[in-house]
Amino acid sequence: MTLLQPAILFALPLAALPVIIHLIHYYRRRQVKWAAMMFLHAAQRMNKGLSRLRQILILLLRVLAVAAILFVVGRPLAGGWLGLTGGAPDTVMILVDRSASMEQINPATGVSKRAAGLRNIAKAINDAVGSRSRLVLIDSALGKPLPIEKANTLLDLPQTEATDTAADIPALFQSALDYITANKTGRTDVWLLSDLQQSDWDSSGGRWEALRAAFTALQGVRFHILCYPQPARDDLAVNVDRVVRRESGDKAELLLDLRISRHVENPQPIEVPLRFAVNGAVTSTKVTLKENQLALQSYAVPIDKETKRGWGRVDLPADSWAGNNTYYFVFDDPPPLHSVIVSDDPAQTEPLRAALSAPLDPSRKYTTTVLPTSRAAEIPWDTAALILWQGALPKAGDVLAHQLQAYAASGRSVFFLPPESPDANELFGLHWGNWESAPTEKADTVEWWRNDAGLLANTRDGASLPVGSLEVTRHCTIVGNGLPLARVAGNAPLLVRSAADQSRGVYFLGTLPGPGASSLARDGVVMYAMLHRVLLDGAKNLGKARQGFAAANVLGADPSKWHPADKTAAATDSTSLPLRAGVDASGDQLLALNRPPGEDQPATISTGMLHDLLAGLDFRVLTDNLEDERSLTNEVWRTFLVAMAVALLLEALISMPQRREAPAVKRNGASPDSNGTPPFSSAKPEPETTSATS
Amino acid sequence: MDGKRPFLDPTVLARLLPLQLHARHAMLGSVSGKHRSPVRGSSLEFAQYRKYVPGDDTRRLDWRTWGRSDRFYIKEFEADTNLRLCLLIDGSGSMDFGPSGATRLDYARRLASTLGYLAAQQGDAVGLWSMAEKEIDIPARRGAAHLGLVLDQMEGIRPIGGTTLLTALHEAAEQIRQRALVIIFSDLFVPPAELKQAIQHLRFRKHDVAAFHLLDESEITFEFDQPARFIDMEGGDPVLADPSIIARNYRRAVKQYLTDLDEIVRTTGVDYHRVKLHERYDDVLVRFLLGRVPKRGAR
Repeated sequence: MTLLQPAILFALPLAALPVIIHLIHYYRRRQVKWAAMMFLHAAQRMNKGLSRLRQILILLLRVLAVAAILFVVGRPLAGGWLGLTGGAPDTVMILVDRSASMEQINPATGVSKRAAGLRNIAKAINDAVGSRSRLVLIDSALGKPLPIEKANTLLDLPQTEATDTAADIPALFQSALDYITANKTGRTDVWLLSDLQQSDWDSSGGRWEALRAAFTALQGVRFHILCYPQPARDDLAVNVDRVVRRESGDKAELLLDLRISRHVENPQPIEVPLRFAVNGAVTSTKVTLKENQLALQSYAVPIDKETKRGWGRVDLPADSWAGNNTYYFVFDDPPPLHSVIVSDDPAQTEPLRAALSAPLDPSRKYTTTVLPTSRAAEIPWDTAALILWQGALPKAGDVLAHQLQAYAASGRSVFFLPPESPDANELFGLHWGNWESAPTEKADTVEWWRNDAGLLANTRDGASLPVGSLEVTRHCTIVGNGLPLARVAGNAPLLVRSAADQSRGVYFLGTLPGPGASSLARDGVVMYAMLHRVLLDGAKNLGKARQGFAAANVLGADPSKWHPADKTAAATDSTSLPLRAGVDASGDQLLALNRPPGEDQPATISTGMLHDLLAGLDFRVLTDNLEDERSLTNEVWRTFLVAMAVALLLEALISMPQRREAPAVKRNGASPDSNGTPPFSSAKPEPETTSATS
Repeated sequence: MDGKRPFLDPTVLARLLPLQLHARHAMLGSVSGKHRSPVRGSSLEFAQYRKYVPGDDTRRLDWRTWGRSDRFYIKEFEADTNLRLCLLIDGSGSMDFGPSGATRLDYARRLASTLGYLAAQQGDAVGLWSMAEKEIDIPARRGAAHLGLVLDQMEGIRPIGGTTLLTALHEAAEQIRQRALVIIFSDLFVPPAELKQAIQHLRFRKHDVAAFHLLDESEITFEFDQPARFIDMEGGDPVLADPSIIARNYRRAVKQYLTDLDEIVRTTGVDYHRVKLHERYDDVLVRFLLGRVPKRGAR
């Protein structure tokens, strides 16, 4: 048992107050001169055992009552049977972070953070509420509420199994909020199991403020954050950034760009065995990792010349996190990078076409089609990796709007540029506002942009794009629900990514590249990088061999069409197939799924940041570690309140004066005389007393 | 003399003087008096007839009976004598207890002095026994001067120490040679079995024994609401007690004690009077004196 207010322990000697007061009274009680001592002695003889026991019991109960009050003030936490008295909420929601990093294990016990956390939560819920509360599970991979019967089943449910996905913790909170609001769950305890990984928590995102406000408005919602922020020790991770098949002479080989990384403070050189498996053929090698990261560029793995397409994996030796020791890849002839520009303004079209046609990768084929808006129906939906739309947005409900939505849902990219005459049509949760011009003497600049991820992120070597030197003469405001990636003066968003469902590759740029709007075309670096990034993102979902990250919807609406490409792999049900790393096949399609890159980052949010994110909410943070198998705790101050009440009640019962018996006095017919004042009369016999002596 | 004695109230004496102090048993006095003697005498009170035996005084033959029955009978008459009143006052420390302003000893003094005065007024001898700070042993004698001595000694009794009542009773039983009326004034806080033996000792010596058992109401009811340190007025160890815990058994002990006393009264025939200290002592005395008036024909 622990105390939320441990300082109260210093007041624990106060529990001895009843004993001290008793002793003071004992030695300072009033003195009575008494004659009938023989009866007193006789009564004491009769009372000896019981009286002493009664007195000790009374003192014990008083001490217990005072101690209980002190413990109530100290807000005790306890698990086990004591936790049973912590009061059962109406609903207990269990939010489980099933991200890949939760599979870090304790090598001694083989227990992962996820399994240890689930076990602890199940035990805590069993101890605290038993079956008195409704239990609802929401996991980060599926995000759907699932009522469960018993906490013990947490360990066996498919919804709590390991995944290789990322976790969106704000979305998890949002799901809990939606459930609580929709189902009127009453007094609700929300348990969250997480490793506090920074990429999952998105602490800089804009959703936390709204979540805080919404939860603060709810009554009786209490959060228990069970976290395992300890990083995996001696963990190595492998990533494959690029796979290219090359033929030279009568040989063929795969060129792999590999990264092997670790996160230790004082890196010592170590030899790392690497194992490559391509279409079942295995090769091994050893590399030396001197620093925290080793990049192998164009590492050649020989393959059969006849093998034009296939899949493979790179393996590292097992360590404390097996999830990042393997990386899957697929290879095939890369599809052409085909982009479509829909615009009626040639002045804007030309720089866009020029940028998209200039090859970033000389080995691939780049094609660009320009169509006026009136011929938008001719867009080659199946082959285009990117659609640039400069014109009025299609009306919601139009065929064109549906086609664009289906196109975006397939994972390819759509990039909207503002028309000269914006209207109120909305698509992907966004629509254009009005054009706003910068002051005549000076153009606006980009005051903020997101450089850690997204289209304007820094280059791989860490250099930033020259976004700050861009000039924006006029911009069209972007209205709706989106994630800003860049802002101009006045905090107006310049580049926004749609936050609507299945529109991860949909962007709105609030200016035009041509003269009179911005310097994007003139200073072409930013535009070139931005357009090719969005083109490559879209192209990832083209072709018959694709790379992807494990996520619930990565296999589309019907994952049952997919199966593991490795015939020897254990059978996996279609629900969990998109959540696990591996290579899946459907017809002639190959899809390699891996953990998202953010999962390899050991950075976690600090406790202070966690308190900031949950500020104003009723929450407590329980930091556990894999070595600690203690059960979780509940506030059990009610137990001590009840103990105090019971102690006081028993004390009152024991201290209650005994029923008085009518004294058996033979009066001999005498009665008090009412005539005159009797010389020996006394209204109330009062023995002579003396003052205290000590 | 009356005006100087704080224990003698003239009003009470005037109320009680019409009443006489009677002995319930025959007395062996030194002079003629108002009390029945075990020997036959020449009083006017007829006692019995008995057959003539040679040697009897022929003057005491009842000739009328001879004339009717032709047999000789001697007619005997009661002999009246005076009474020896022995006042035995408990002088232990517990006699200092009592309601504010009046102690148990004060009450005993009032009773004893009034009875002594009444006895002296009817020509009886009065003596005093007490074992307190100093032992008092004044044999019963007649006369106003002797009564003054008794009252003086009574006034000088200072209650102190443990009870010596039982010793005093046994000594009185041994020292009082002739039949006497022994009146005990005490709280009787002694073991009932030993008290019984002492009274039986007195009764064995043919003494008429009466006892005024002086108790305060608080000693019976034990009404205290707070724990207290009880100081033994007879010098014993103090007792720390919580009345809320002990009262029940205290009252039980009192009840048992009083039951034992009732048994002693029944078996020894002692003239027992339980007196509460808040009662008027003249009422107590009236009750006592009236209770000792011989019933008609019962001499």
